[in-house]
Amino acid sequence: MRTVKNVFRRKLRAFLTIFGITIGIFALVVMGSLAEKITLLVNGGTRFYADKVTVSQGGSAGFSVNPISVDRIPAIQAIPGVRLASAGITLPLDKEQSASFGVPAMISASDLRGRNLESFKLTYSQGRELSPDDQGKAVVGADLVQKLNARVGGFIKVRGRSFQVVGILEKTLTIPDDAVIIPFRDAQNIFFNDLPELVQKNIKPGMLATGLTIYPKPGVNPDRLAEEIGKKYPQYDAIGPAKFQQQVTNSTHIFTTIVFGVALISLLVGGLSVINTMTMSVYERTREVGIRKSLGASDGRIIRQFLGESAFIGAVGGITGLALGWLFVLAANKAGEASGTVIFLLTTRLAIGSIAFAIVLGVLSGLYPSWHAARLNPVKALRYE
Amino acid sequence: MNDGDVILQIRALYKTYELGKENLVRALRGASLEVARGEMLAIMGPSGSGKSTVMHIMGCLDTPDQGEVWLEGRRVDKLKRHELNRVRSRQIGFIFQGFNLIPTFTAAENVALACEYAGMPRRKAKAAAARALTRVDLGDRLSHHPSELSGGQQQRVAIARALVNEPAIILGDEPTGDLDTINSREIMQMMRDINKSTGTTFVLVTHNPEVAAACDRTVCMRDGAVLADEECRPD
Ligand SMILES: Nc1ncnc2c1ncn2[C@@H]1O[C@H](COP(=O)(O)OP(=O)(O)OP(=O)(O)O)[C@@H](O)[C@H]1O
Ligand SMILES: [Mg+2]
Repeated sequence: MRTVKNVFRRKLRAFLTIFGITIGIFALVVMGSLAEKITLLVNGGTRFYADKVTVSQGGSAGFSVNPISVDRIPAIQAIPGVRLASAGITLPLDKEQSASFGVPAMISASDLRGRNLESFKLTYSQGRELSPDDQGKAVVGADLVQKLNARVGGFIKVRGRSFQVVGILEKTLTIPDDAVIIPFRDAQNIFFNDLPELVQKNIKPGMLATGLTIYPKPGVNPDRLAEEIGKKYPQYDAIGPAKFQQQVTNSTHIFTTIVFGVALISLLVGGLSVINTMTMSVYERTREVGIRKSLGASDGRIIRQFLGESAFIGAVGGITGLALGWLFVLAANKAGEASGTVIFLLTTRLAIGSIAFAIVLGVLSGLYPSWHAARLNPVKALRYE
Repeated sequence: MNDGDVILQIRALYKTYELGKENLVRALRGASLEVARGEMLAIMGPSGSGKSTVMHIMGCLDTPDQGEVWLEGRRVDKLKRHELNRVRSRQIGFIFQGFNLIPTFTAAENVALACEYAGMPRRKAKAAAARALTRVDLGDRLSHHPSELSGGQQQRVAIARALVNEPAIILGDEPTGDLDTINSREIMQMMRDINKSTGTTFVLVTHNPEVAAACDRTVCMRDGAVLADEECRPD
């Protein structure tokens, strides 16, 4: 109670200082939510890639739109260590993909040959999964439900074609949230239409895939296998778990570093303003410190008194920053749902972490001013006007 | 006067303030004094003679450059900071000219703070503060802030704060300096009563001959030293 009273002795100053922390924690929460989303995406990818090798025709990791022909499958399956190769297609949901943050919405399809070997299991909040003989059916990822206005039994439009929704995925917090899964044949047709005319002449839709998923035999190291496939077919990108990890951690590390860098700078500013406020507060209360010392207050008492105040400033700033950040994330995700781009994820650990950080920041910023107060010479402090 | 009767003794205290390289203020130059247990002693002397400096050193708020301070048979001038804090909170009470109450605290909170610093739990401190304030006739002003009290009342709060831990000695640096004649008399009377009824020792610095006259004994300071009783003259 006394702490609260003391902090709000100078109302405007207390408010401004708290506001400084609020802004910092707000930035930390919003940026952190972004990073958490990316981290979970990457974790999902890591889980997906954990036990397999993906092969695509040049280009970048998994999202290449260069076609790879399904008639390569027998040759690849003949490679020692390969248990099964399954063809898949991944395409952007909107042909003209507007630049967006996070993962773009995708169309995903597989020939389903590997479905019994797949360790990355999807669960369905409603409906069922696709079966190999489905045609014109679709399963919708959790974050696309609103954008596509999807419900089980209803129809959605994908690239101008109509699909009947048979299932809706439970939220995975990773890539499938932003995917529409359609039958392989339908995806091949869409892919075919995407290709330049020149290429179309030389290929049949039924041959098309964007990548192969290769399941190794039990006991075979997928990284070793990826290396071997890469050697045998230098024109392909064969990516195993280690390579995937390396590719994504490079880019996500830079990203999270920037994100947290920005947040930390704003917190540094907030921390400096707490130092400033606490220094002023000690200065203004020099005489009071002198009185307390004349009454025999120990150094620890004085330090605790001022530290309590700066911790309080930190805590209030942290709570309001978290509240504002949470509202922002809610609103941004709500707005993003309509376009299928949910890019923030406020996790419990981030929420607790940012409050704890605010309090620690408050305490650290208060250390020097309160130590200074405790060391004041009582006689000089009492004389202070 | 045998040693058992001496509650506070200072021996040949020296204190020099350095204002600049060449500018030394020799505030104390061999000040010595003995205070008997239970007595009420007045210190007089011209401005700048070192009265406040002596009080601060006797009250363990400051340390001398040279000399010794003995409080209740224990040497206290070379104690560590935390030991000095302890001595101040339990053995000494202060009354200042400017009252020195914390403006944002109520009368009761101001007094209770002294108890807390002496190690009393909050609840007990509250009760003790109420008792002490009742004793100085402010039982009905517990939750008033200093700004809502007259100067005389504020000084009574300060007296309550000084005596609440039942210290061995209460030091007052011009306790009536900011008060008018009537309030001065009232405050002086109150301290005299407390001294009589509890046996608490008082040392009061004063410029007021009336206050000095109400004390058991008066000593004079001049140029940083305490003069023998017979040399004491009014300023
Ligand atoms: N912190 C300080 N720094 C420098 N000089 C000081 C300091 N404190 C006291 N002095 C000087 O020491 C001398 C003694 O001061 P002190 O306050 O003890 O006098 P005093 O007898 O209490 O005077 P007064 O009756 O005016 O209160 C004075 O010359 C004063 O200027
Ligand atoms: Mg003085």
